[in-house]
Amino acid sequence: MLEVKNLHVKLEDEGRVILKGLSLTVPKGEVHAIMGPNGSGKSTLAYVLAGRDGYEVTEGDILWNGESLLEMEPDERAAKGVFLAFQYPMEIPGVAGLTFLRTALNALKKKRGEPEVTTPAFMKLVKERGQKLDIDIEMLKRPVNVGFSGGEKKRSEILQMALLEPTLCVLDETDSGLDIDALRIVAEGVNALRSPDRAFLVITHYQRLLNYIVPDKVHVLADGRIQKTGGKELALELERSGYAGYTGKAA
Amino acid sequence: MNVAVMKTKAEQGLLEAFDAVSGKLPGGAAVMARRAEAIGRFGALGLPHRRIEEWKYTDLRSSLKQALPPAIDDRTPVTIAELIVALGPLAHLDAYRVAFVNGQHRGVLDDFGEASGLEVRALAADLTAAPEKLAPGLIDPSEYDGAITALNTAFVTDGAIVRVGDGVRLAKPLLVIFVRAGREAQAVAVRNVLSIGAGADATLIEAHVVLPGACQEAQVNSRSEVSVGKGAAVRHAKVAVDSGRTVHLSNWDIWLDAEAAYRGFQFTMGQGLARNGIRIGFGGEGGKLDLSGAYLVRGQEHVDTTLVVDHAVPGCESRELFKGVLDGQGRGVFQGKIIVRPDAQKTDGKQMSQALMLSEDAEFDSKPELEIFADDVVCGHGTTSAELDPDLLFYCKSRGIPESEARALMIESFIGEAIDKVEDASLRAALMAYTKGWLAGSTR
Repeated sequence: MLEVKNLHVKLEDEGRVILKGLSLTVPKGEVHAIMGPNGSGKSTLAYVLAGRDGYEVTEGDILWNGESLLEMEPDERAAKGVFLAFQYPMEIPGVAGLTFLRTALNALKKKRGEPEVTTPAFMKLVKERGQKLDIDIEMLKRPVNVGFSGGEKKRSEILQMALLEPTLCVLDETDSGLDIDALRIVAEGVNALRSPDRAFLVITHYQRLLNYIVPDKVHVLADGRIQKTGGKELALELERSGYAGYTGKAA
Repeated sequence: MNVAVMKTKAEQGLLEAFDAVSGKLPGGAAVMARRAEAIGRFGALGLPHRRIEEWKYTDLRSSLKQALPPAIDDRTPVTIAELIVALGPLAHLDAYRVAFVNGQHRGVLDDFGEASGLEVRALAADLTAAPEKLAPGLIDPSEYDGAITALNTAFVTDGAIVRVGDGVRLAKPLLVIFVRAGREAQAVAVRNVLSIGAGADATLIEAHVVLPGACQEAQVNSRSEVSVGKGAAVRHAKVAVDSGRTVHLSNWDIWLDAEAAYRGFQFTMGQGLARNGIRIGFGGEGGKLDLSGAYLVRGQEHVDTTLVVDHAVPGCESRELFKGVLDGQGRGVFQGKIIVRPDAQKTDGKQMSQALMLSEDAEFDSKPELEIFADDVVCGHGTTSAELDPDLLFYCKSRGIPESEARALMIESFIGEAIDKVEDASLRAALMAYTKGWLAGSTR
């Protein structure tokens, strides 16, 4: 279970306060959506969960399965099952996709005390999981995300997720920049991973993604706090009326 | 007015060393006269210093504190098994082999099998028996006037004379090994004369390596003169890996005939001070040059690559890519000059030099120069220096890859782009293995 408790976060550089007492609970087996206007703190929440530098937690805590994540390095969090699908997946020139995936998979296995994956087993796994996301092995022989289209980058994020098998999946605006076909492929990839021991936090600006990844709960994030929590129908309501009621101005 | 410049301790030491050993150096009277002339020239020039443009960032006069005694007639025992250890990752290469220990040919370590069309001799023997058969460098000094080459001519003890016949395709690379051994700090001067016949195809690899337990200090002066015949294809590499305290002064002088395709590569690691001078001249139309290098620098090490590509004839192509990783107080220097002479129309030249800085105290000096006297040419150069991207490190770490591994992955990928220029897969693998060893903290 993910428990975010009264989280206050400011940017280290400029000192601007972004999250102002955010609280949230996502039990295993559930998919929660976070919706909110631009600048409400959605991406900050995603980055703080993954442990990116540059954010200072001034108050509150983040617990995953009862354990605080705050003092952990990003790779330790990953070993605990945390995964962030980036809004803007990064390009790594010179590192082949397959090398990257294998290094990550083996690093996680090592931390969890499991044996490393053999080359044939790894290739079989990548082929099988890649196929579902329409990702060819040839694509993974190229440097990570270099020269990929927006859709290819997002599919490659989901492939990483499918291979690393995290238990807390945070998706940051995974729908941005996707056409309807790519959106469907990505959503199917995510849905295939839904399971009783996995929690999802799906961050999005638009309701559209939630037609494909149907959430158990929807939270409205505005001005650094959760303003309202409801069922999936809340997303439709937001689609009709916008975020104006939560920010005091039209979004 | 001539101003007599005070000689440094090292300069004085070099002149005295010559007096001490000249009687024991190989070669008859004609060679001895050349040596005497060369040391005289060195005496007049002195060690190169920062007021000489080509040595602006590598002030050898101030950094060379003393002259080590020259290795003469070396007898340090080295077994094949020890040579294999010294070769490290290079031992996996399936190659013809000629070996020199402390600058002296050691025939028992050679391995040629049946290599037809390949002729390999020791320079020392030719200096004595047939100096007139040698390349211009040792006979006609007029075109070489640098102090380092003068020292090489004065002190050279041995080296490989290699001739690949016209149209010969070498089945395996030729590995020319210079291994340092023994407990004394010594100076070594070697020279290779490599000539590749018209239409031939060959891979030549020079390896400067050290036996475990050998003295950490040494001064190496290595010169290679290469002529590539018409339409020949040559891959030429130098791998210089040592313990971090050596002075490695290297010069390559390459001449390409028409339609020749030459790929050169230099790998430098664990050198206290390395100066890699490279000079390449196109002698005929349609020549192709692909020159690249990778260097790894840490502590107070210093690696300088200074090259001149001379487009004297029309229609040739040159590409250079040099990449360095700089840690600690290490320093990387790149000076790349491309000359396009008035007749050299349709020249296509591109050059890139890149440094990855792992420390705030590291320094990178890069000076690309284009001297273009023809009007119908395509030439370009670039240089970059950068640190590891913290966003990329975060991305890797968020996937479970620990910081040290993420850094290694990115450094390997940076340097790998240069190493990928090496055609021979087993040499590529050896260079990546060296890189991994360096990243893991060991120098060799």
